[in-house]
Amino acid sequence: MSQPSPALALRRSNRAIWIGVIFVLLGVLSNFLYFIHLPGQAVFPWLGLSLPAVGLALLLLGVRRAFAPAQMSRNVAGSMLFGQPQVYRGKIVGPILTVIGALVFGLSAWGFLHARAIPASKHAPQIGEKAPDFTLVNTSGQSVSLAELLSTPIDTASGKAPKGVLLIFYRGWW
Amino acid sequence: MAISVDSPEQSSDLSRKAGYTFPILSDPNAEVIKRYDLLHVGGSPNHTDISRPAEFLLDSSGTVRWVNFTEDIRVRAKADDMLAAAKGLP
Repeated sequence: MSQPSPALALRRSNRAIWIGVIFVLLGVLSNFLYFIHLPGQAVFPWLGLSLPAVGLALLLLGVRRAFAPAQMSRNVAGSMLFGQPQVYRGKIVGPILTVIGALVFGLSAWGFLHARAIPASKHAPQIGEKAPDFTLVNTSGQSVSLAELLSTPIDTASGKAPKGVLLIFYRGWW
Repeated sequence: MAISVDSPEQSSDLSRKAGYTFPILSDPNAEVIKRYDLLHVGGSPNHTDISRPAEFLLDSSGTVRWVNFTEDIRVRAKADDMLAAAKGLP
């Protein structure tokens, strides 16, 4: 067992780096929120963007600290005795984690922009407007029109036309 | 009812695997998707044209009573919201 170097013991732990790592990790984990049945989904993209951003900022702060020369008043003993100019630890681990944090933030920002780059659909039918009729094929290869869907009873026993139709346009699996 | 650019075969697979009982319609050339102004040009990972996510609730006359256009493809209409809207139909 080697004794920890007195110079290292004199240096302060660099908490900004580790809190930054936690924020970055929370940002990664926030992507799983979409798979859980939770309300307020509209804020999840903002969490996925801001958590890694805060994490990266803290990491950068931590690295700056790790490389900042000590002020004489703060660490005069350390500087004089061991010639250690730094007050905070994290000169090695800090830059490594910051590069990883920057990559995570970059991916999150790219994902955020990509997921929101969807057309505005200004001319899509709006509330109060008639939905344009159409005819498409179903999974059995039969043609189905919107007019038919609106008039064909679902409940054959009552013979009543449906109260409405829900149209779900989705991206598909291509 | 659900609509996408997927072929009837792909939709049939999805329906069977997921146990869906509602009709799934195919719009491979995105004709209806264009008519509804929902075309997302190059929107799929292989840059083919697909539909953006959108949901419309129509009453028995075919008039739109509720719509949802998401701002983020990861955020979709919740089944509960759509059911609540459907319950409000006359």
